[in-house]
Amino acid sequence: MEAIRVEGLYKSFGGVVATSNVSFKVDVGGRLVIIGPNGAGKSTLFNLLNGQLPLDSGKVFLFGEDVTHLPLHKRAHRGMARSFQLTSLFPELTVMDNMMLALHGLRKSRFNPFRRTGSYSTLRDKGKDLLSLFDLWSKRDEQIKMISYGEQRKLEIALCLASNPRLLLLDEPSAGLTTSERQVVMEMIRNLPPDIAVIIVDHDMDLVFGLANRIIVLHFGQIIAEGTPEEIQAHPKVKEVYMGIEEGNGNA
Amino acid sequence: MNQRLSTAVPYLIAVVILVALPLVLQSYYLSVATMILIFGLFAMSLNVIFGHTGLNSLGHAAFFGTAGYVTGIAIVTYGVKSFWTSAPLGILGAAVTAAIFGIIALRVSGVYFLLVTFALGQLLWTVAEKWNSVTMGRSGFVGIPAPDLGLSFLDLESPVGFYYFVFVVFSVCYYLMARLHRSPFGYALQGIRERESRMRALGYNVWLYKYIAYIVAAVFAGMGGILYAHFNGSIAPSHVGFSTSALGMLMVILGGAGVLWGPVLGAALIILLQGFASLLVPARWPLILGALFVIGVMGFRGGIGLHMVKTVRRVFSRGSNQG
Repeated sequence: MEAIRVEGLYKSFGGVVATSNVSFKVDVGGRLVIIGPNGAGKSTLFNLLNGQLPLDSGKVFLFGEDVTHLPLHKRAHRGMARSFQLTSLFPELTVMDNMMLALHGLRKSRFNPFRRTGSYSTLRDKGKDLLSLFDLWSKRDEQIKMISYGEQRKLEIALCLASNPRLLLLDEPSAGLTTSERQVVMEMIRNLPPDIAVIIVDHDMDLVFGLANRIIVLHFGQIIAEGTPEEIQAHPKVKEVYMGIEEGNGNA
Repeated sequence: MNQRLSTAVPYLIAVVILVALPLVLQSYYLSVATMILIFGLFAMSLNVIFGHTGLNSLGHAAFFGTAGYVTGIAIVTYGVKSFWTSAPLGILGAAVTAAIFGIIALRVSGVYFLLVTFALGQLLWTVAEKWNSVTMGRSGFVGIPAPDLGLSFLDLESPVGFYYFVFVVFSVCYYLMARLHRSPFGYALQGIRERESRMRALGYNVWLYKYIAYIVAAVFAGMGGILYAHFNGSIAPSHVGFSTSALGMLMVILGGAGVLWGPVLGAALIILLQGFASLLVPARWPLILGALFVIGVMGFRGGIGLHMVKTVRRVFSRGSNQG
C-alpha cells in the first residue's frame, strides 16, 4: 500500500525553478532518503509535500487520497508529521509544554478552554515516554531557549512522533548533532514501527546509507537518479554531481 | 502542594484586600477602585489576543463600547429591565461585532492587523458619533441606570453595592481567563504566537484559533463595557474608538503581557495616576501618561508585573535550597 505519491510537482519562485517534474511514491514501511547538493530544492520539496507552500502544478496523494489542495493542519490529521531543518519549537514554553502541544494537536482536547493542559494523564505519560526516549525528561521544565542545540534537535523529532504519524518527514534530523547524538537519532529512526513511511533529507552518509531502502538524488530541483542505495552508489551521474563533492565519504 | 500554596497565597491576599476595600475607602476612592476593576477586565481581555496570541489589536475598544451601547440602548430605548437580558444582549453585540471584524482583520497579520483593527474601531466610532437617533451622537448615550439583577436585597445604586457587584463579575471573568490561559486552547494560542507554521504542522487550524480567541476576547471586553455603562450611567463615542483602545494597550504593556494579572496592574497604575492628575494638574494628564509610558517601556521591559515576579522570586529563592 502506498503512503504518499506525488506526480509532476512543479514550483518556481519568480522564474527561478525550485522543483520541476518531481514524481515518486513511498509505500507503507518505506524509508526514502532524498539527497542532493545544497540548493538542490530538498527543503522546498518538503514544503510542497506537507502543504506549507502551494504547488504551481502537480498532485500529492496521501494514502490514496488527493490532498493537493488540503491545508497543512488537515494533512497532519491524515497522518503526516514533519520536522524542520531550522529548529522550529516554541522558545518561551518549556520542553513539556512543547510536548503537550504536540500531543494535543490531533485530539479533540486541543479545543478545551477550561481543563489544565497538564491534567491529561494519558497524554502526560506518553509525553514522559517520548521525552525519556530522547533523554529529555530531566529537562522537562526548562524553557526551550535554555536547552542546548542538540537537545532542541532531539525534541524537534520527538514532537513529530507525538502524533503517531503514518508518514514522517524528517528534514536533516542529524544536522548539528554530535556523533553520539546522531547514533541515538539513527537508532530511533531504525526502531520506528514498520507500518510508518519515512522520508528523510540528510547529508550524513552513514545515516543515508544506513537507513534508506530507496534514495532519490535531487539536482536543481529535478530527480536525476532514483534507486536502491547500491544502485545510487554505482550511478555515474550521482558520482559526478554529488559524490564528487563529498569525496571519499560515499562508502557506507 | 507547596507550589500550589505559594500561588494561592497572593491571590488570597488580593481577594481579602479587594473585599475589605469598601470598609476603608471613601466613596470617591471606591469609585476609582471600581474603575480599576472594570478597566482591569478590559485590559485582561485585550491580553488574550495581544499577549497570548500575539495579535496586536488597536481596536479592542470597539467591543467594550459596542456592548456598552447595546446594553444602554436595550435598557433605555427599549425598556429591557432585567440585567440578565440586557447584559447578554450587550455581550452578543460585542461577539457579533468581533465575528464580523475578525473575518476582515484576520486576513492580515503583524502591523497590518494593527492598522485594520484601528480602522474598524474608528469606523464604529464614527457610527456612534453620527447616528444621532440611536446613539444620541457626540455627547454620548446617557441615562443608563444601575443594573437590575432582580435581587431586592442588593442595592447596586450605592457605590459599595456596585463595587461588590463589579468585584464578583471581575473575579468570575478573571477565573475563566486564568483557566483559559492554562488550558490546551490557551497553550495553542501561545504556540501560535511563538511559531505559527509549527502549529499548523502539528494539526492546529491556526486561523480558527485566532478567530475564536478574537471573539472570546471581545466577549470579556464587552462584559467590561457593560459594567462601565452602568457605572458611568453613560457611554460615549470615545469608548468605542482609538483613545480607549490605546489606553487598554498601554495598560497591558505597562503592567506586563506575560503575567496574567499584569494588565490589571497596568490598569490600576494608569487609573490611579489619572485620578491624582485630574485633581492636581488636569491639563497635563496626556503629558504624564506619555512620560509614564516611556519610562515603563524603557525601564521595565516586559511590564512592571514581570519585574515584580522576578524580584519576589529572587527574594524567596535566596532563602530556599533551590538557590
